[in-house]
Amino acid sequence: MIRFILRRMLASAAILLVLTFAVYHLLDFAMDYFFDLRASTSPNIDQLFESRRRLLNLDTPVTLRYFDWLAGVGGCFIGQCDLGTAWVSGQEVTSQLQGAIANTVKLVTAATLISIVMGVLIGVISALRQYTGFDYVITFVSFLLYSLPVFWVAVLLKQYGAIEFNNFLNNPVVSWPVVIVFAVIAGLFWMGAIGGDARRRVIVFASATVVTFAVTAYVLLTGWLESPRIGLIGTALVSAGFAVAVTFASTGLRNRRALAAALITVVVGLLLYMPLQNLFYYVEMNIPAMLGLLLIALVIGAAIGIALRGPDRSASARTGALTALLMSIVVFCDRVLQEWDRYVAMPQINNRPIATIGAATPNLQADFWMGMLDSFTHLLLPSIALILISFALYTRYERASMLEVMNQDYIRTARAKGLTERTVVMRHGLRNALIPVTSVMAVDIVTLIGGAVITETIFGWSGMGKLFIDSMNRNELDPVMAYILITGLLAIAATLLADFLYGLLDPRIRVTS
Amino acid sequence: MTTFIPGPRGQGAEQPGDSQDSIETKDIAGLSQGQIVLRRFLRHKGALVGLITIACIALFCYSAVGVGPIPGWWQYNHYSSNPVLNPQGAPTMSLPAWLGGDGFAIGQHPFGQDDIGRDNFARVMKGTQISLMVMVVIGVVGLVIGSVIGALAGFYRGWLDNVLMRITDGFIILPTLVVGAILGKMVGGASAIALALALGLILWPTLARLVRGEFLGLREREFVDAARVTGASDLRIMLKHMFPNSMGVIIVNTSLLMAQAIVLETALSFLGFGITSPDVSLGQLINEYQSSFATRPWLFWWPGLFIIVIALCINFVGDGLRDAFDPRQKRVPSKRVMDRAARRNAKTAGDAAGKGAAS
Amino acid sequence: MNTILTVRDLGVEFWVGDEWFTAAEGVNYELRAGEVLAIVGESGSGKSQTSMSLMGLLPRNGRATGSARLGDRELIGASEAELRRVRGNEISIIFQEPMTALNPVYTVGFQIVETLRVHTDLAPHAAKERALELMRLVEIPEPERRFGHYPHQLSGGQRQRIMIAQALACQPKLLIADEPTTALDVTVQAEILKLMRELREKIDSGIILITHDMGVVADMADRILVMKRGKVVEHGTAQEIFTDPKDDYTKQLLAAVPHLGASFSAAEAQEAAQAQEDDSAVLVGGVFAGVTEDASGPAIPLESNELFLHDSVRGTPSTTPALELKGASIEYPKQGRGPAFRAAHAVDLRIEGGEVVGLVGESGSGKTTIGRAAVGLLPVVEGTLEIDGTDIARLNRKRLRELRTRISIVFQDPGSSLNPRLPVGESIGEPLFLHEGLKGAALSARVESLLDSVELPRSMRNRYPHELSGGQRQRIGIARSLALDPMLLIADEPTSALDVSVQVRVLELFRQLQEEKGFACLFISHDLAVVEMLSAKIAVMRHGYLLELGSPREIISTPQHPYTQRLLAAVPVPDPEEQRRRRTARDALLEQEQTVS
Repeated sequence: MIRFILRRMLASAAILLVLTFAVYHLLDFAMDYFFDLRASTSPNIDQLFESRRRLLNLDTPVTLRYFDWLAGVGGCFIGQCDLGTAWVSGQEVTSQLQGAIANTVKLVTAATLISIVMGVLIGVISALRQYTGFDYVITFVSFLLYSLPVFWVAVLLKQYGAIEFNNFLNNPVVSWPVVIVFAVIAGLFWMGAIGGDARRRVIVFASATVVTFAVTAYVLLTGWLESPRIGLIGTALVSAGFAVAVTFASTGLRNRRALAAALITVVVGLLLYMPLQNLFYYVEMNIPAMLGLLLIALVIGAAIGIALRGPDRSASARTGALTALLMSIVVFCDRVLQEWDRYVAMPQINNRPIATIGAATPNLQADFWMGMLDSFTHLLLPSIALILISFALYTRYERASMLEVMNQDYIRTARAKGLTERTVVMRHGLRNALIPVTSVMAVDIVTLIGGAVITETIFGWSGMGKLFIDSMNRNELDPVMAYILITGLLAIAATLLADFLYGLLDPRIRVTS
Repeated sequence: MTTFIPGPRGQGAEQPGDSQDSIETKDIAGLSQGQIVLRRFLRHKGALVGLITIACIALFCYSAVGVGPIPGWWQYNHYSSNPVLNPQGAPTMSLPAWLGGDGFAIGQHPFGQDDIGRDNFARVMKGTQISLMVMVVIGVVGLVIGSVIGALAGFYRGWLDNVLMRITDGFIILPTLVVGAILGKMVGGASAIALALALGLILWPTLARLVRGEFLGLREREFVDAARVTGASDLRIMLKHMFPNSMGVIIVNTSLLMAQAIVLETALSFLGFGITSPDVSLGQLINEYQSSFATRPWLFWWPGLFIIVIALCINFVGDGLRDAFDPRQKRVPSKRVMDRAARRNAKTAGDAAGKGAAS
Repeated sequence: MNTILTVRDLGVEFWVGDEWFTAAEGVNYELRAGEVLAIVGESGSGKSQTSMSLMGLLPRNGRATGSARLGDRELIGASEAELRRVRGNEISIIFQEPMTALNPVYTVGFQIVETLRVHTDLAPHAAKERALELMRLVEIPEPERRFGHYPHQLSGGQRQRIMIAQALACQPKLLIADEPTTALDVTVQAEILKLMRELREKIDSGIILITHDMGVVADMADRILVMKRGKVVEHGTAQEIFTDPKDDYTKQLLAAVPHLGASFSAAEAQEAAQAQEDDSAVLVGGVFAGVTEDASGPAIPLESNELFLHDSVRGTPSTTPALELKGASIEYPKQGRGPAFRAAHAVDLRIEGGEVVGLVGESGSGKTTIGRAAVGLLPVVEGTLEIDGTDIARLNRKRLRELRTRISIVFQDPGSSLNPRLPVGESIGEPLFLHEGLKGAALSARVESLLDSVELPRSMRNRYPHELSGGQRQRIGIARSLALDPMLLIADEPTSALDVSVQVRVLELFRQLQEEKGFACLFISHDLAVVEMLSAKIAVMRHGYLLELGSPREIISTPQHPYTQRLLAAVPVPDPEEQRRRRTARDALLEQEQTVS
């Protein structure tokens, strides 16, 4: 495995080398270094040309300049990165890159994670309900999303997701017909997703519609949107829901021990709720501390599962840990949302919380929690723009892959053993259907990096993509080359990650290599 | 979904006896390969609607504003200014009364006008023309390069395969949008055709990989060996035996490539590295008018709508083609449909059961 | 004995196109505990579907009618939850293809444990213990180690054993074995059948054995149900069906099965065997079946890769052979990073003009490799391969092209050997077009005469391969290979993908054509009985080595290499009485090898 990865890395490095070489020459040909001088009527125009030529070292052949640049890149290995200069502004490329890489990675990671989870989920359901109305609607929607140009969506999101939604937040009035239609659509969605015979469909439809309607009505009537919070009761309800859902998906509700483990985990979490609030109040938090707390939560969840003993300790432990993970996220969100009122009232925000420009509000005097909230509001729209498209890809792919798997002989064997349909799907179907998805992941991440160029430009998100477009427009070669280099590295990292996941999921690869 | 009758696997190879048809092939008995594909395609409603829509759009946009010197039937062109009719140049088209409009009318400028009074309908039609043309050219270039590279790599394998596939990897590492932007800047808005040719050079890798995979599979098939034993040349084997059997993969993926192409072209034009003013394309129109979204939303909506409809239609056509070419794709209707049809045939079924009991 | 399963008027229908098609109807039978019921039929007879419907495992477009009662529980139309309790617990199933029937991403141990834990309250470690016990029961070597292995790490036979262990996990009342040995080599098949026979005594469940192989039926079945196109045509005890079949179809089916030792008389073989020094060999019907119980060890060790030549093939004829391999080693060229794979080692083989030589061996023996090398599809890396006196490796492109008009090949899978996008007439005509430049009417006339010679209607030339049945496609394949009147024909398992009744007709046609045209032929097959029907000499291969060469009688009644002996002993013959005697002799043979090794 290690030899395999090393070989892959070496091959990738070689490809990257050739790629940068080719792109450097192409760019040199494409760039107009004198774009600002062409229209100039200045009397010393020749001199200006000459000094520009000297500034950019244009008398040296382009191939030599490339190796010069490469030598600078090579410096990174000994801690002396020199990626050149953006000549228009005179900034070092390395300083331009600061923050930009992190911002883009943040954007792409958020979009990838969310679209994989949602895409796989919807894709699997769509496959299991093949040739039903639900499947047709999902197919249509995913094609529609797939056909949407990112830039168009982004502009629309900016208009409706931010400007109009902020207006709405300041004066939240909703017409009831809209709420009812929304509730009915939600009812239809759940009915289609859960399926079953006529009676079950009616029950699912009715209950989903009523619940959606009730929740929406509650949100609107209590003014929840103006100051959203979850609170202890909300945490309890949502976590208990997660506990049941996790148990259903991982072991089935008939495994009472696992269910108990999940629910006890929720109770323990609730008992810790107040102490945690105090901790958050008195101690300044940061990311490592949050991760540490998450780890503790996972250990507690797993420990509860193990403490319950019984024949299936590992399954209970897994259920407990998963519940703990989801519950920690709820508690985290709860704490972040507690900042909402203060945040919205900040002069820089001025009651318009959904941001359209940049990755963070400048000059915001914020502690950890408000900083988090601030990044969320900034991440929201650009991620949605990216997710919509990549979500469609995963849905299509997972659907196809699941259909393929469910026709395999071993699925028939699993059924012939007398396993429940849930076990057949989750254990024997899903695991195999995830294998090909890993190979799409690498391609999709590259596509997302491309999509980020557009969203970053539209949302003024100072990441790599915006750097690329701005430098292209200013005819600065070095920052563009830095972009190519880093994008290439990211793509290679994504491919390696995909290979790794593939090996993890598929023993045929793992054992033989 | 495949509807294998779950016979033992080897029965796939174990053919039904002379003159006996298996149940699986009952519905395709007596049809040639092409007829089967056509029949399956026509059964895919989405694909059919998509194909018709795209044909209509093409016909409409080319006839409306004409091509080159040939004038179209629309009175305005995409570049000259006209007196602004409605305030801000709002569309003159109105919805019929039952949809809440003021009675159906097209008016002088159905899609509205821009700030200097140019007719938006003419501009959108011209933009659609260019975008469609770019899309087709990219599709053709991608198709040719992708198939040839994939075929050579898959057929000869060895070092040639290695070299070609590493090149393909190189193309896949960078987002197409980024390479497209660089090429677009090189071509520098010279002409739509030049841009299309350049973009065709970067969209082939997916197709090449798929064709290679297909050829690797086909070259293990016995009919290829049979041709080789008969003494057919490599070229003949590829052209006569392997390409016709890869047509499914090639056609399906070319259609998907074209859907990708139109999105790429419009995105590049939007960023200013594709079609640039005074030429128009759908993406270029959105780019030009994005700042006036709040004041003149129609300038933004119409070109966007056309991009989406075209891309959506092509995706549906591609999906229909995929289903049509995939022999395993067979539809199983839902239980309700089967039951309903079964009730319809209840009488005949009853007879058959009676006979079965008698024997 | 108590009846465990009562099937009444069972029917299966499939929804195709726009209506229900009947796959089986009016099936009636009963099964008692400890009994083996074989359901026999060719493909499309509905034998699998009726059994799958017992477990409610028909595909989504299928439905079952009638009644099937397991004890007093009705299975047809039972609810999903009820069926789930039955599946794997009271009825379990063994599928044909153990590679695809086991989930590739879980260990085999886990997959057995899973079955146990769905239906019982066993704790994980207890379930593991029980699974190991089951693995021991099905004779998996080193069960503790194998427990953690993935299916791809096991051999085909071991995988099938795992399938059986899994099926037996909950001590089912009814075991359905759906072509359990079709995908396996004949020696492995014999082992699995032996295992199943032993288990049958231990577990006392009823077994439904679905198969097309009359030999397997003769080996296992108590009662037999013969199906044809969805209907039961005959039902009776094994003895009745084999000795006194009533229905024409059953008779035809039995007659179509190639029978070992049919090419010579049993008495003659007995005589020849007695002439040998060693008289411990047991012959049943003139066919080597094994050894007597007190036999001493074999003269040649089992691992030996030396070639044994029988009397009839010693000496060197003076004529130029059609095909001659001298110390020929053949390799599959390396692919990517994988090294080259040597599939045949220093093979010496000679085929005279107009002679048919049969080449037998199990999968991976290298028999196909030799066929492919003979037509130039694989390179000979050591030694020489001469066709009609010319070394094929030394030829330039042009001469090779000339030589190609004189050799041709018929492939195994008739579905894959014809280009699906070409009308079959064009496939047949391709060699004529390429080498003789025939076009238009001249080409048509030749294609039509070729169709005549393989007894197909001329109108078929415009059809596409998918419109033809397997037998018709194979006839087309033969017509194409004969287009240029070759002097050497390689036939690579030409009938192994066909049903027996079709196989017998294709083989008959093949023999007629061979006599008529007089080409030399290398006939490759895994089936000794088929090879015997056609060949003047038989060669046996294993792991890339040629082990034994002789006339059919010599190979079949007096095999010398222990591997050939094992191969012969493993072939089940379609006669229960004979098969029983063969079994005893075979057990003695295996016993003897164990004591020697």
